[in-house]
Amino acid sequence: MSAHHNTDSIQHLYEGDQSKLYSGVMAHHSDINSTESKTQIKKIWKVFWILLVITVVEVGMGMFFSHSIPKAVINFLFLALTLLKAGYIVAIFMHLGDEFKGFIASVLIPLVLFVWFIIAFLADGFFWLRMNNSSPAREQIENVAHSTKK
Amino acid sequence: MSHSTVVTSAPKQNLWEGGRSPYNVSYGKIMMWFFLLSDALTFGALLISYGTTRFFSAVWPDPNEVFKAFPFMHGQNLPLLFVSLMTFILIMSSVTMVLAVHAGHYNDKKSVAKWLLWTIIGGICFLACQAWEWTHLHGEIGGLWGTFTDPATPTSSFSHFFNQDLAGHVLSTQPGMAMQSTHNFFNYFFTITGFHGGHVTSGVVFNILILVNTVNGVYERRGHYEMIEKIGLYWHFVDLVWVFVFTCFYLL
Repeated sequence: MSAHHNTDSIQHLYEGDQSKLYSGVMAHHSDINSTESKTQIKKIWKVFWILLVITVVEVGMGMFFSHSIPKAVINFLFLALTLLKAGYIVAIFMHLGDEFKGFIASVLIPLVLFVWFIIAFLADGFFWLRMNNSSPAREQIENVAHSTKK
Repeated sequence: MSHSTVVTSAPKQNLWEGGRSPYNVSYGKIMMWFFLLSDALTFGALLISYGTTRFFSAVWPDPNEVFKAFPFMHGQNLPLLFVSLMTFILIMSSVTMVLAVHAGHYNDKKSVAKWLLWTIIGGICFLACQAWEWTHLHGEIGGLWGTFTDPATPTSSFSHFFNQDLAGHVLSTQPGMAMQSTHNFFNYFFTITGFHGGHVTSGVVFNILILVNTVNGVYERRGHYEMIEKIGLYWHFVDLVWVFVFTCFYLL
């Protein structure tokens, strides 16, 4: 810890508080009405509008198109829009986009587990439904197959 | 953010050679990130088990049929409208939170307090909406943990949750199957939105604590508002989880 920016002016303020080094005190932010600050605030509101529009589009799709567009297509769109929203929240609101690449990787790489997690468990649920002889879905599929043969 | 641009101007090869923090993030903030990572896995486990149950169910309640009520608009068919309002409130409170964090970077005590107050109001509005929705679902629809288990339940008490085109056959031939799905649906719904609501509640409590500290000048004396950033991360995470809960329960 002693190897950080080791000036007395930092240490006398709050001894042992590492946060001091990363919290903007070193970055000499001063005026909240500066152009730099205003650009930041503009960006925040822009992201708000993007999130709002995405949500409105999602709700519109859910209300008016949930039965006219094939289920697989609309679900894919819902998931894509959800991930887009999540990306904006994490990158801009949580400021992860402003961190070092190594830190971004440390946070995001463990989430790759979800790829296996989701595929494995949903596939298992699907398999169970297909193997279950008493399942009405199976019966229904057979009925439909039967009626189309006639 | 400008404080990272200050550091990135340093030579890159020095990043892992000691003498500086390779992540340029304080211990407390890193720990908040890794706590959120573990919390994401918990929420992920809940949502994925919900998905698994849904995949092995032949029929599943249609969100457009279950969530179609709005306060003071009795008997009207307004699918998804109320939850859209809740989503809007939560996104809005996320914006006010990030504005509080921004004000913190500039050591602007008054703005921090103002935006934190708005965030707290947003959080309380969201919780109030959730309380209304739970009351409605329990009182008027009969859903809660462990409901829809009695084999003598008439089909008419749950058949209206389903899309008739997709589930009509199952409802007429094997209503027990549809009732089991309704039971599972409400168990997951109340567990997951309850767990999320618990997070919102603790988030509101944290926000009140840091608002009191801000007003009392604790962070002013400390020289920085990093605690606002840490609680802000938590608050945004709660919003992030809601984005996924919203998709999984109300849209898919």
